[in-house]
Amino acid sequence: MTDIEGKIIGIVAKETRRGSEEISLDLKVEDIESLDLVQIIFAIEDEFQIYVPQDDEGFKLETLRDVVEGVQSLIAQKQASA
Amino acid sequence: MHRVAITGLGCISAVGHTAPEHWEALKNGRSGIQEVTLVPPDQLNARIAAEVKNYDPADHFETKRLSLLDRFTQFSLVAAREAIADAGLDFSGGLGAETAVLLATGVGGITTLDNSFARLYGEGHPRVHPLTVPKLMVSAAASHITMEFGITGPSFAVSSACSSANHAIGEGMWMVRTGRARAAVVGGAETCVTLGTLKGWESLRVMATDTCRPFSRGRRGMVIGEGAGLFVIERMDDARARGATIYAELAGYGLTADAGDIVFPSEEGAAGALAMALRDGGLAAEDVDYINAHGTGTTANDVTETRAIRRVFGDSADRLMVSSTKSMHGHGLGAAGALELVPTIMAIKDGVVPPTANFVEPDPDCDLDVVPNQARDVPVRAALSDSFAFGGLNAVVAVRAVD
Repeated sequence: MTDIEGKIIGIVAKETRRGSEEISLDLKVEDIESLDLVQIIFAIEDEFQIYVPQDDEGFKLETLRDVVEGVQSLIAQKQASA
Repeated sequence: MHRVAITGLGCISAVGHTAPEHWEALKNGRSGIQEVTLVPPDQLNARIAAEVKNYDPADHFETKRLSLLDRFTQFSLVAAREAIADAGLDFSGGLGAETAVLLATGVGGITTLDNSFARLYGEGHPRVHPLTVPKLMVSAAASHITMEFGITGPSFAVSSACSSANHAIGEGMWMVRTGRARAAVVGGAETCVTLGTLKGWESLRVMATDTCRPFSRGRRGMVIGEGAGLFVIERMDDARARGATIYAELAGYGLTADAGDIVFPSEEGAAGALAMALRDGGLAAEDVDYINAHGTGTTANDVTETRAIRRVFGDSADRLMVSSTKSMHGHGLGAAGALELVPTIMAIKDGVVPPTANFVEPDPDCDLDVVPNQARDVPVRAALSDSFAFGGLNAVVAVRAVD
């Protein structure tokens, strides 16, 4: 498990009040309660100092695996533009 | 029990500084949504709002007095002056003691709070302005209206997030109906275009970044609006006796609580408020021609509201016109029901139904006649105005043509 994966799973576990071992990368984003989801996005933005786009058609997140990949690409974009 | 007449309108919004200007813009489908100017847009991801434009406080208030008036109180007074002058009421000679002021707002003096706290926490100043508290309190606008006009009857602020104004209007109607007050000044004001508030809304991820497209496919959320709408209501018999212009009858009021989710709307709660407003106003479903919808432009609200209307109106839902003027004046939050009562009343008075602007194409989940983009000339006998707030507090008012 990468460091980013571990941190994201930790955030999802905390916001959904579950143990980290219960959180799989196959977890569907649509199965997360919406208020938990906005708090997860907020925590991810804070943790990685990135902005997760809201209306970007090219940024579709179906599973937690997509979220991890999305965050990796946002971090890469940020480092490239720094 | 007394029937209740609406005899004065006042409004200031992103599309007009008076009620007639507001209505003129809405019936012509003119939107006031633009890039924000009151806060630096580069600090925002959703950079649009429906701001009151070309507004200079000095046109309305002396400099000395302005130090007591938050922007939401200024807008309340501007709209109250217009409504009271329009009604032609004089509060001397005893009427002041029999008149109520019910002024709604979601958050009150948030501009004052935001600026004071930026100074305190951000800039490290050790003190805030001594008038900070009387400026920011949610009841400040209600108080200033009573003071300016010498109104000494039952007066207070009403707050229920996005249903605030409809609760104030409905409760005021009950006061006049039951004789607790002879007349009332009711409505709502909100001025939430501050950096702190917009950042809060942005984090909830319900804000559109393009524009507000209620009931349309491709809608991306809501757009914050600001402004105030105030109304003079009084006993129908009094209004007739003094030969006042009666815009319409304020006929019914329905209110419920979802007891469900703090942000998600419930079809059942909304339907309950709609049904109660009809019952309270002695209206059958087929008597209503128009609903000014809550229609925020969020995915959740517009579908839930469509279902609630279908549940209450049954077959009549297919001949109803339902539009959301939030597409033009934005979501006025605590002022929403007030900014929307003006077009609801005027639809009846003028026989023109205002459109849902920015409509692109139908969404099968919002399958009502939403009057897309173009106003319609058609007689309106009775109309409802919906407000369904965060926290599940719902309020619907019913307005009827006077015979």
